[in-house]
Amino acid sequence: MRYTIRMITEERLKILTESAKYDVSCSSSGSGRKNAGGMGNGYVAGCCHSFTPDGRCISLLKILLSNDCIYHCKYCPNRADADVPRASATPDEICQLVIDFYKRNYIEGLFLSSAVCKNPEYTMERLVLTVKKLRTEYHFHGYIHLKGIPYADERLMEEAAKYVDRMSYNIELPSEKSLKLLAPQKTKESLLLPMKELTVKKQQYAEERKKGQYKGYFLPAGQTTQMIVGASPEADGQILRLTQALYRSMDMKRVYYSSYVPVVQDSLLPDKPTGQLREHRLYQADWLLRFYGFSVEELVAEGENLSMEYDPKCAWALKNMHLFPVEINRAPLETLLRVPGIGAKNAYKILEARKYATLSFEDLTKMRVALKRAKHFITCNGKFFGAKNETQIRGFLAAAEQSDNAQQLDLFAQISSPQNALISLTGQL
Amino acid sequence: MVYVFDGTKNGFLTAFLAAYKDENALLTSKQTQLPLGERTLFIDTEPLRAEKAKNRLLCFDRDCMRDFDTLLRSGMDNNEQIAFRYFHTLTKEKRPIGKMLSNPDVFAAVECMRKVGFEVHRFHGFIRFMETASGALYAPFAPDNDICDLLAPHFRARLPQFPFVLHDTKRKKAAVYDGKNVFLAPLCDAEIMLSADENAWQALWKRYYAAVNIPSRERLRQMRGYMPARYWKFLPEKQDPPTDE
Repeated sequence: MRYTIRMITEERLKILTESAKYDVSCSSSGSGRKNAGGMGNGYVAGCCHSFTPDGRCISLLKILLSNDCIYHCKYCPNRADADVPRASATPDEICQLVIDFYKRNYIEGLFLSSAVCKNPEYTMERLVLTVKKLRTEYHFHGYIHLKGIPYADERLMEEAAKYVDRMSYNIELPSEKSLKLLAPQKTKESLLLPMKELTVKKQQYAEERKKGQYKGYFLPAGQTTQMIVGASPEADGQILRLTQALYRSMDMKRVYYSSYVPVVQDSLLPDKPTGQLREHRLYQADWLLRFYGFSVEELVAEGENLSMEYDPKCAWALKNMHLFPVEINRAPLETLLRVPGIGAKNAYKILEARKYATLSFEDLTKMRVALKRAKHFITCNGKFFGAKNETQIRGFLAAAEQSDNAQQLDLFAQISSPQNALISLTGQL
Repeated sequence: MVYVFDGTKNGFLTAFLAAYKDENALLTSKQTQLPLGERTLFIDTEPLRAEKAKNRLLCFDRDCMRDFDTLLRSGMDNNEQIAFRYFHTLTKEKRPIGKMLSNPDVFAAVECMRKVGFEVHRFHGFIRFMETASGALYAPFAPDNDICDLLAPHFRARLPQFPFVLHDTKRKKAAVYDGKNVFLAPLCDAEIMLSADENAWQALWKRYYAAVNIPSRERLRQMRGYMPARYWKFLPEKQDPPTDE
């Protein structure tokens, strides 16, 4: 099957990608969409196709339909009064680009977004038109992540959700006050309302599907959101409380944090970028919330920031030394998951291996369970190999942190890194 | 004693039957790596004995032939010995041992299999097709492990209308999908006529790759960790970057 070639120019591709690249999400996981003639299917675990020199993965073709914006969000490089080159693509150009990139296995699908041009309604219409074309005219069944436009009609949103795998409305900033200051044309309601509506709709369609009244898909990979950290004064405690609320009440698949990069100058904005370590700590805490059974109240007080010195699990353990050490051969999974240095993968490894034999410290080493941190919090068959007192433990943990930091940074930032994908493949999380 | 076999599955199983009582047995098909001063036994492949060994192993673990297949695909130098030690442990334990990770022989085998599985996953992402003049897709690559036929079902499921060739240039073989069936074939050099638009799409892809990067956050070590340099040869985006004229 050949289509008339509608090839976008290199120059416009460059502009529309550079305008989209600060969006964090690139995940292609969570959708098991089947090939129904034509090209493509979903890959539940997600798949990375390349990695850029900044260490991020390329899974989806991340692009804007247009970067010509009527809004004045202070932090955004595409804001209306910014002096940047502007470009737009036609829906057919985007579709053809996706088809030809996908065919060559460059990408797992499309992450389509747009600046708000003319008005929200018009913008959302163009986005929906594009994804609908891609599905129905170009017969593409690969992954599509669509960014929702606040203030657009609810029916457009609902239609989009029938064609795409995932949608996201960015929460942008962690508080209404900051939103008012830095993104004056967006309100908390305008961002949260569509998320709520999609959550409700998804449940409705799931029920209709069960009864056989609805045959299609509806957002199989759910919703995500993203907020900028460090452009406004909110503490980590507040940010993570918001995160926890989103996971609990909106069934969010993922909350992304993007550390603030000063791409534009404004007196309301800090002129220094947010440290990568802060972003890293937030992701670590986020993982503890999602996969390790922690609640935010255990990790950090509302007005406080996470410790920079220790990772959030170590910081928690140091505050709860009375719970340790735990016996590696008997501790239940929930307890193993709370041991600093023992990740989900290793916790499961230990659980399986101890069915066959009592595990010694050497056994753990042989199984390549990292013990640099964990040894201060466990006993192996009754024996303790950690430091004598808490002061020493603190010293060792801080040293471990320093030696790791150079390598570890951003390890958690990409959900579709191959390691994470493997974890989801083996069903361990 | 060193047991040398022909590299086939039946060869391995015949050798296994001959060697499994010998604690210090070394199994290999790679004659270039024979250790000095060891007694060597050349094993003639016997299908009947192989069948016997196979049935014996299956008694202990119904799924162990899948592990066997994976282990023999590994590109590690000592993968055959790892497989031998794994099955040796299986016959001693007489039950599935895949999760008995505190046993070093099991751990080595599990790691070896993990690497094969991980590379399959990686190449689901790193395969790069070129469009040929006939519309068929051609992807040369050089994996560490013998996996080209393991990749084919993935691409067949998502590109059912496109015939494709997954060419393992290291092992000089290819998994070919002709639009209906997948088969393995020996393939040394392929002469490829590219489609008229192929170079333009590659150029767009390189442009995209350059544009989506955030230069102020360079982390090359991380990039190399996720996408090792040995895989770059067949990735268009890792060839000459686009130039602004």
